[in-house]
Amino acid sequence: MITKKDLEEIVGSENVCDDHQTLKAYAYDQSFVPQRMPEYIVKPNNGTEIQALVKWANETLTPLVPVSSGPPHFRGDTVPSTGGVVIVDLSSMKKIIRIDRPNRVVMCEPGVTFKELIPAIEKEGLRLNLPLLPREKKSVIGSLLEREPVIMPGYHWDIADPLDCVEIIFGTGDMFRTGGAAGPGTIEEQLAAGGAQDEPLGPGQADWYRAIQGAQGTLGITTWASMRCELLPKVEEPFMVGSMQLDKLLELVHWLIRLRLVNECFVLNNCNLSAILAKKWHDHYLNIKDTLPPWILFFNIVGYDYLPEERVKYQITDMLSTAQRVGLEPEKRVGSVSANEILQLVQRPSEEPYWKLRFKGACHDIFFLTIYDSLPELIGVMYDTADKAGYPASDIGIYLQPLVQGTNCHCEFNLYYDPKNLRESERVKDLSTSATKKLIAGGAFFSRPYGRNTSMIINRDAATASALHKIKMILDPKKIMNPGKLCF
Amino acid sequence: MVLEDYRDNMEICSKCSACKFIPLERVEGLQHVNICPSIARYNFHAYSGGGRLGTAIAMLDKRFDYSKKLVEVMYNCQTCGGCDVSCKYGMDMEVLEPIYEFRIKAVKEKHTHPALDKVINSLKKQGTMVPGSKANRGEWAKGLDVKDITKQKVKVLYHVGCLTSYDREMWKVAKATVNLLKKVGVDFGIAGENESCCGGRAYQMGYKEDFLNQARKNMEMIKISGVETLITTCADGYHAFQVLYDKFNLKGNLEVLHITEYLARLIKEGKLKPAKKININVTYHDPCHLGRLGETYIHWEGKRVPGHMYRFEPQKVYRRGTYGIYEPPRDVLRSIPGIKLVEMDRTKEYAWCCGAGGGVNDSNQEFSMWTAMERIKEAEDTGAEAIVTACPWCVRNFNDAIKKNGSKLKIYDVTELLAMAI
Amino acid sequence: MDLDRSIYKALEDILGPENITEEPAILDSYAWRSGMMAGTTKFMPRFEIVTLPKDTEEVQAIVKLCNRFRIQFKPTSTLWGPGNFPGGPGVILIDLRRMNRILEINEKNMYAVLEPYVIGAQLQSELMKRGLTCNLNGAGSHVSAFHFAGSLGHGFTSQTHGYGPRNVLAVEWVTPEGEIVRLGSLGSSSEWFCGDGPGPSLRSLIRGSANSGGGIGVFTKAAQKVYHWPGPLKFPVEGISPNYAPAWLPENFFLRFISFPSTDKMIEATRKIGESEIALQCSHSISMLASSIATCNEEDLELLEKFRKSAQGPGIVVSITGNSRGEFEYKKKVFQQIIDETDGKSLELIEDPQVWGGILWRFIRMTTAIREAHRATGVWFGNMAGNNYAAIKAKYTQTAARLKDEMISKGLLFNGDKGLIDLMMWPQEHGHRGLAEIVFRYFPTPESTEGVQHLRNECLKVALIEHMGGPYGANRRELQDVVGPHYSNYHLWLRKIKKAFDPNGVAESTNYITAEE
Repeated sequence: MITKKDLEEIVGSENVCDDHQTLKAYAYDQSFVPQRMPEYIVKPNNGTEIQALVKWANETLTPLVPVSSGPPHFRGDTVPSTGGVVIVDLSSMKKIIRIDRPNRVVMCEPGVTFKELIPAIEKEGLRLNLPLLPREKKSVIGSLLEREPVIMPGYHWDIADPLDCVEIIFGTGDMFRTGGAAGPGTIEEQLAAGGAQDEPLGPGQADWYRAIQGAQGTLGITTWASMRCELLPKVEEPFMVGSMQLDKLLELVHWLIRLRLVNECFVLNNCNLSAILAKKWHDHYLNIKDTLPPWILFFNIVGYDYLPEERVKYQITDMLSTAQRVGLEPEKRVGSVSANEILQLVQRPSEEPYWKLRFKGACHDIFFLTIYDSLPELIGVMYDTADKAGYPASDIGIYLQPLVQGTNCHCEFNLYYDPKNLRESERVKDLSTSATKKLIAGGAFFSRPYGRNTSMIINRDAATASALHKIKMILDPKKIMNPGKLCF
Repeated sequence: MVLEDYRDNMEICSKCSACKFIPLERVEGLQHVNICPSIARYNFHAYSGGGRLGTAIAMLDKRFDYSKKLVEVMYNCQTCGGCDVSCKYGMDMEVLEPIYEFRIKAVKEKHTHPALDKVINSLKKQGTMVPGSKANRGEWAKGLDVKDITKQKVKVLYHVGCLTSYDREMWKVAKATVNLLKKVGVDFGIAGENESCCGGRAYQMGYKEDFLNQARKNMEMIKISGVETLITTCADGYHAFQVLYDKFNLKGNLEVLHITEYLARLIKEGKLKPAKKININVTYHDPCHLGRLGETYIHWEGKRVPGHMYRFEPQKVYRRGTYGIYEPPRDVLRSIPGIKLVEMDRTKEYAWCCGAGGGVNDSNQEFSMWTAMERIKEAEDTGAEAIVTACPWCVRNFNDAIKKNGSKLKIYDVTELLAMAI
Repeated sequence: MDLDRSIYKALEDILGPENITEEPAILDSYAWRSGMMAGTTKFMPRFEIVTLPKDTEEVQAIVKLCNRFRIQFKPTSTLWGPGNFPGGPGVILIDLRRMNRILEINEKNMYAVLEPYVIGAQLQSELMKRGLTCNLNGAGSHVSAFHFAGSLGHGFTSQTHGYGPRNVLAVEWVTPEGEIVRLGSLGSSSEWFCGDGPGPSLRSLIRGSANSGGGIGVFTKAAQKVYHWPGPLKFPVEGISPNYAPAWLPENFFLRFISFPSTDKMIEATRKIGESEIALQCSHSISMLASSIATCNEEDLELLEKFRKSAQGPGIVVSITGNSRGEFEYKKKVFQQIIDETDGKSLELIEDPQVWGGILWRFIRMTTAIREAHRATGVWFGNMAGNNYAAIKAKYTQTAARLKDEMISKGLLFNGDKGLIDLMMWPQEHGHRGLAEIVFRYFPTPESTEGVQHLRNECLKVALIEHMGGPYGANRRELQDVVGPHYSNYHLWLRKIKKAFDPNGVAESTNYITAEE
């Protein structure tokens, strides 16, 4: 039987909590997973404490659920799936360990949010490849470990980017460092020798970081991570293209990324763009939406240290020529929205309240990966399914994010609903399941399965599930790490 | 030099596998990338140029005995020299020479292929590498009133070659050659029934002594006749006289020309004027022994420079296929009105073999035909109506392959087409 | 080793008699040593049987049979490099030569799907017809285009075309147990665009900073990223081997060799070139450049002497291209600015368009590795330093360069590039990371072989003691337990993976890790 004292001896009494209200906050989230109360919340201060926790958990067979971002949570991955869980809340670990301008890399702890990290690295002339408007309390490392899509596809060489190295306590209680951080020597020794922990591959003949990403805390707890940064531009020129024809926009997207003309580059439907920009509800949202075509492409052209204006100049010329070939006309403004407005917003986390919650108070996301040619059909599937479920298709937010330098595309449907309205909640819950089923059948690849639909997704690929089990039995043989998630 | 003398050379092979492909700078797609028919057909590494070197070293190290399979691997190679050219794009080493020496060693040690023994018997008895009797060798020339070099003094000898002499379907090339030479007033002769095989093919098969016997016999006849220039319509024959005889210091001052060289020269000098239009799209197939292997032999003797780098004093200049006979046949074709010449993907120094060489068309018809069909398909891909080449073995092999497998392509010899245009 | 005849018969039933052999002469052709890192041993252990499967199902059948009979297998494709040999007897070779198709080129989503025996030159040529190109393995375009085949997987154009393992998308994998696992999107659909998920990525298992050398099974198909090609659909090469030259030069290409007064300046320039994203390709050293141009060893020596006199110090070859005139001019301007800032000097001998045009094409098509590495002595190896620039400029480079000169003085290495800080740079992804390599060429005598081993050990020691990144080249099983403790004990975890996925120990592990210590 575990006791609070056990935990206090590891992390200090001030960092252990078992009051009901606090526990309740971790017992559910905005996904539709069943609620379950944890036993304790602990807030470790460093990797040593985390390692001690995990070792203790192995001895006592206590399930641990790591959490790094602050609320609200959306995916269900941080909600306990079993009883007796201790939540390992990493949000207090807020060290920005180092910022390395020459090597364009930053290292930080899991509690560091985008809001905290962005200004710190900007001072050094660096920026991160961000997800689209992360919420204020979103952990940077949490986002990277989730393989969240990022808005500068040209700098997304590999789906794992911008994550470089991690230090992780495996479910066995062993500490491991991935990539160039693995060794030789301590991090300090490596730094003294000129190392930068910016090589993600290895060590040896496995890419450990790839197993840790997407694991939803089922394989271990990350204590810090390094991540690749890009340079802060000196000159920026954002543009928008509005169109009814998604295929044309995607054609342009393909060329803009292929020719390396753009930094930020993504497509939103009018719902989502309005939701992001609206300051007042409901009228302002509707007013904006009314001025917008169904689809809006946003992209940004930049210049860096060397002759930035000249760079921007030729890139704009080339961009316009490319757009003309496709039959589109990029502009500085579409409807009542200016490109600069969007640019200001997307280079920062979302302001409070989180943009997805402004419309109706809650939002359920359905997201997957696909290729450009499949998008129109899959969007059609979503609309049909929503229609049948009684959810107005015109209210669905859509976010299309080209990834891995245009190799595939993240497609996200945002289903806004009023969480206080039980019927609406149920409708969205059921729609999520039925739509996921149909989208899978249509070829959508749910690379990041969460919540209630997880088994439906993973069961389609029995061979992968079997291989994942083997990894699990190596890195967390006693299955103490976030049990009940994925296929574990 | 014998195989053992090539040990150092063979051991330079780093097993990069470049010998399996055409020079990489020239690759233009997924298709037509192979240069070596042997490994393209049989796939095991031992069938490649580099694989053969590794096997040869192993043999010298006595790691295995001769076996039926080894002999099969050894003879399933047209000695086309493709591997040699591809390797020498990047390396300073011989590939084809040790391949020859491997066969020579095997023959010496009495490990031969029975089909090739049969051919050599014919060579010994009748002086020909194709079925036929010595007495009938000159039959193709009946009624053409051509001088006999054994009876009349001439400076130019037209060496016809075994296949052209005995294969009735090839007689038209010999006759066309005679007519063309007569037309420009060349004072030439033939050896008729006294003509004997150049021996080149025997060398390719590893029967070095038989080759040398032929070479000596031929040069003796040439010496007595006073001939100064030898013209041939056979690429194998060209290679034998121009390269092999020179290699073994038997060529003397004999000038050796392939008929296409001679014809191109005559056309350039205005002595031959193709005037009749022949409206046909053609593609030209470079015979191995005229093209990449037709490069003049380079005599060299020297010693390895001590040290790590593999080089010699004096410098060893490698024959890399750079100076083979590529343009003269093309010049002839371009001079014919109406002819549209398109190139295949694999041309000149990296042309795909017709399949006939090295004894393969005697020892392994299936492989020979397969190789030929690969080339025919490649030619078809160009949209050409015909393959034109400059060697009777290529012509024969392509025609046989088409007979067996079907194709709309026609096969011509360059000389034949030119004769039609005059 | 005398294998049970029933094994041969069973394999013959799977493959057909033409596609299997145990003929000693053929086995020895495979056993002939590679020129990379060769010593005095000429023949490696023989495979027992060589098999030539034509598709995934045949590969699977072979692997399952190996499990049934508890014999080891090893897959190989184009046979280049020392990773293609078994460690001892009792191993069956799966020669993937017959699996040579390009299955798909998706131009819109920029990936290609191939089988293992498509060589780089084939893939690149097909891509160029569509205005695309790819990263080619540094070993050359005559080796497999598969990004598992190359040990590290970087190439001359990794600056813009990424590098091997990071270009991989979905994969079809026959595990050592004979299961077929299809990674990523391929597992639940027939799409190749993503190799990761659902959940944790199984790409984690199939390779890391080095390839798995067959120790974790056989990869039978894979998709990889491809990139935009701003050049002609067919590069205009003319001439006869080995004297190929461009018939004309595309207007939007440019190449120079720039030497610098010091390694520090060179690294500074490389960093700036990376950050400004102007280079198509940024790599090379002076001796490798001489070798790549020369068509014979003697010419190599002459050129090296000329270059040595003209260059002020170590240098790099930089090529630039643009999709438009504006882009091209901008990049050249920035390039000149960077060179001026870092005291770089262009090698005049390279400025002739006929010369640099030839270099450009050879670098894009990756044909020069043979000339650079193999021709001089037949045997060579490259010592990799660090994975960022700071490490390489420090003690590692100096140690390696000093040892190299010492060995040259003793006659243990080829002396052509004595005294040069002959570091070959391999920046990747616009300089976000990179490698540096010092190439050692030698004729393998007992003394030189021992010297080379000593040199490698010393370099590895420096890397470990001075904390200089890696472990590169530590992908041989005997090194894992030596090197592993310095790198988070990865070897212990890798061993567990090996045990989990290869319980019968049938995937030969000379270049991976064994289940036992």
